[in-house]
Amino acid sequence: MSRWLLRRTGDAVATALVASVVLIILLHLLPGDPLAAVLGDHPVPPAVEAALRRQWGTDRSVVQSIGAVFAGLAHGDLGVSIVEQRPVLAILGERLGPTFLLGALTLLIDFTAGLALGVWSALHPDAIRARLIGAITIVGYALPSFVVGMLLVWMFAVKLRWFPAAGLSNVLLRPDASVMTTLLDHLKHLVLPLAAMVIATLAVPLRQQRAAALVTAAQPWVLAARARGISPALVAWRHCWRPALTPIVTLLGLWLPMLVAGAVFVEVVFQWPGIGLLLARATQDRDIPLVMGAGLLLIVTVQLGSLLADVMYHVVDPAQRQA
Amino acid sequence: MTRLARVGLAILTLLAAFAIVGPWIAGDPNAQPDPVNGSLLLPSPAHWLGTDQLSRDIFARLASGARISLAVAAIAVSVAAVFGSALGLAAGAAPGLAGRLLQRLIDLGLALPRIIVLLVVLAALGRMHYVLLGVVLGATGWPAVARLVRGETLRLRHAQYVAAARALGAPPARVLWYEIFPGTLPAVLVASTLGLADAILLEAGLSFIGVGIRPPEASWGGMLYEARDYIGSAPWLVFIPCLALVAATSAATLLGDALRRSLQPETR
Amino acid sequence: MTPLLEVSDLNISFPRDGAPLVPVDDVSFMVSPGELVALVGESGCGKTLTGLALPRLLPRGAVLGPRSAVRFDGTDLTRLSERELRSYRGRRIAMVFQDPMTSLNPVMRIGTQIAEAIHAHRKVSSRDARERVLALLAEVGIADPPARINAYPHQLSGGMRQRVLIAMALAGQPDLLIADEPTTALDVTVQAQILELLDRLRAARGMAVLLISHDLGIVAGRADRVLVMYAGRIVESAATAQLFAHPAHPYTRGLFASIPRLDATTTRLTPIRGTVPRPDQWPDGCRFHPRCPVAVSRCLTQRPPLELVAPDQRAACWVAQGAAT
Repeated sequence: MSRWLLRRTGDAVATALVASVVLIILLHLLPGDPLAAVLGDHPVPPAVEAALRRQWGTDRSVVQSIGAVFAGLAHGDLGVSIVEQRPVLAILGERLGPTFLLGALTLLIDFTAGLALGVWSALHPDAIRARLIGAITIVGYALPSFVVGMLLVWMFAVKLRWFPAAGLSNVLLRPDASVMTTLLDHLKHLVLPLAAMVIATLAVPLRQQRAAALVTAAQPWVLAARARGISPALVAWRHCWRPALTPIVTLLGLWLPMLVAGAVFVEVVFQWPGIGLLLARATQDRDIPLVMGAGLLLIVTVQLGSLLADVMYHVVDPAQRQA
Repeated sequence: MTRLARVGLAILTLLAAFAIVGPWIAGDPNAQPDPVNGSLLLPSPAHWLGTDQLSRDIFARLASGARISLAVAAIAVSVAAVFGSALGLAAGAAPGLAGRLLQRLIDLGLALPRIIVLLVVLAALGRMHYVLLGVVLGATGWPAVARLVRGETLRLRHAQYVAAARALGAPPARVLWYEIFPGTLPAVLVASTLGLADAILLEAGLSFIGVGIRPPEASWGGMLYEARDYIGSAPWLVFIPCLALVAATSAATLLGDALRRSLQPETR
Repeated sequence: MTPLLEVSDLNISFPRDGAPLVPVDDVSFMVSPGELVALVGESGCGKTLTGLALPRLLPRGAVLGPRSAVRFDGTDLTRLSERELRSYRGRRIAMVFQDPMTSLNPVMRIGTQIAEAIHAHRKVSSRDARERVLALLAEVGIADPPARINAYPHQLSGGMRQRVLIAMALAGQPDLLIADEPTTALDVTVQAQILELLDRLRAARGMAVLLISHDLGIVAGRADRVLVMYAGRIVESAATAQLFAHPAHPYTRGLFASIPRLDATTTRLTPIRGTVPRPDQWPDGCRFHPRCPVAVSRCLTQRPPLELVAPDQRAACWVAQGAAT
């Protein structure tokens, strides 16, 4: 177990490192000068331009860049945002919370709802249920997250006025409002982005979990449990859901990249102040250090997530645990 | 072919026809005939789908957007298909270390969230021509194709007819090109059809967050980007490009799904 | 003695385009309390479906015929609701399945699985349940139960798993145990031990056993009665000694002729000619007639009923019945 964990961790670290290097090289190979874009038509003295280039690191070679980025990383330094003129790390720190909240809740709901629906439809494979699941899947695949988001905004924020359309909280809320009020306000702001995220990302988990549950439901131990007179709820829970969990856990890591894409678009729709919105803005502004920083953070998160998923697999599966 | 797949194919064909013919009959998508009185108009004989906040004809923008959005997606899918199959074939056929390295490369491509790579590239390149955007999308879409093609190549290498060709003394390159490569084409087709939906979606998403096709050029995602602020006053500005987008992506998904099922009946 | 189980005209069909498939066609038999009855036949003859039909655990799409009745202790199980049936499953009728590898939930400890079977039918404290689990494990011959109670299925051998499954079946203290090919997936030496165990448990608990098997050999020393099934029907039903001494149906005789014997005077085995037909190609009349060495014209068109041909022996064969009368 410990040797496996070591190797698996090494794999994740290596992937994250290689991915970072690829991004840095990519930035260097591509034409386009962010400094020129920012300076635009404003002429600056050559000395100033050289100083700016040095400061922003656009005068470095590929190797120097890679070295500089990793040297910075070692000191916990990701450079300075061109637009905001603040350390990238500080900006990322402010944005991490909202994204993490949205992402973790989405993952949780995707996982439980997907598994529950998957087991439910696998235990009763009649035409109506199969079609319902099929419909959810197609809708999930075909409806882009931002389209879902816009439609939710129109329905629940513009027409029904149930939930606010954007932001993390009501800026007009009095600072001395009670904890309950503040919390409720945050919750209200969370509902629509979360709904958009779940609708846009549920299809893949649902399909995979249904497939896993179908395999499990056909196992002899399910029939054996029924033959023992175990109640249907327990058969579904202990003998279908629980064993289906094992293969599903390994897939968790694969859902993360999908979640990242969803987060970028959904955060823009709802102006949710997370990493995704930041990344979109920074890309628009061509704020390369910030884009790099946010990108690296997400890549590392995805790697960490899939590592965690694999560790969980080893915990969940008795055969793996004792191996 | 199932009924749903036929519906998907029909919708895609219609959209393609609309992309080719539409811009001719719809006129200039950037004309602003009357910005003062003629903006945010409801549909009328003069403007079939109404006008936007700058009095531009929505039908014309939708048609022009169809051309750009579908062209970008088509370019992206082609680039990904060529690049992905080449890599997948090489990874599946190359012996020893080379094959393993290529496999690691594909794994790396799959591990990197596509959206991040895209955003980094777009941040570096800034505003770009839509053909280039298509190429960039394709250049980040190859891992899915490569993975499928590699799997097929590995499978086909052990197929009887390939072994027979080898036994007849065909050189490896010839076996790869004449025996294995054609066998992987169905997989490429499936990956490309599903990739088409992804590409349409990604281009629209990038344009929607203002970093893909940028105004005043029309694309479906870009129309949404511009219409966002009018969702309360003129929601049809949002609905119309949404509808076009969903039609295109669901059609491609239906078709791709059906193709995949016919290719791998066991993964139903 | 009143029978514990009385199956009459059990008919299982699968509707499909065209004529429905009828893999079990009007099967009738009885099992008395404490009796060990063997149901023997080749794979595909419908014996497994028959076993599953008793506690109504039929696969999806299977339809029970309108005249079919499964009277257990006086109650017709085919008329019960799913909820009512649950108080029979495991509690009155327990099952042991063929493959001990896959009949245990791989992510539950075996102790938990047995305890679950106990809790399903009795209100007991988890302390008492644990005691019962330990007692059951000891009863089925598992050494050092306290050490095994927390094991996962993958940590046990095939024979041990089958013992665990039998312990689970005993948890509800059933009156009838249906054992469907309980030893087929096991090594030969383990097979004998498991059969020994089943026989011992039957004697100790006064529990009836319906032993479903393709192998006449394992039935020989243990069964009180043998039912021989062919192509969805019971073709012969007799006390074991009678059947082994004087098999009446040509199919049963064919089965015996194809078993190697140590005391054989002939050196060659005689296989039954032809193969078992698929359920969609079952012939009219006696279903064995295309393969039967003694078939007469009547066998081609008329279905032979299961009639007495000797004391304690019934056979569905025109020829055998003709010889008897």
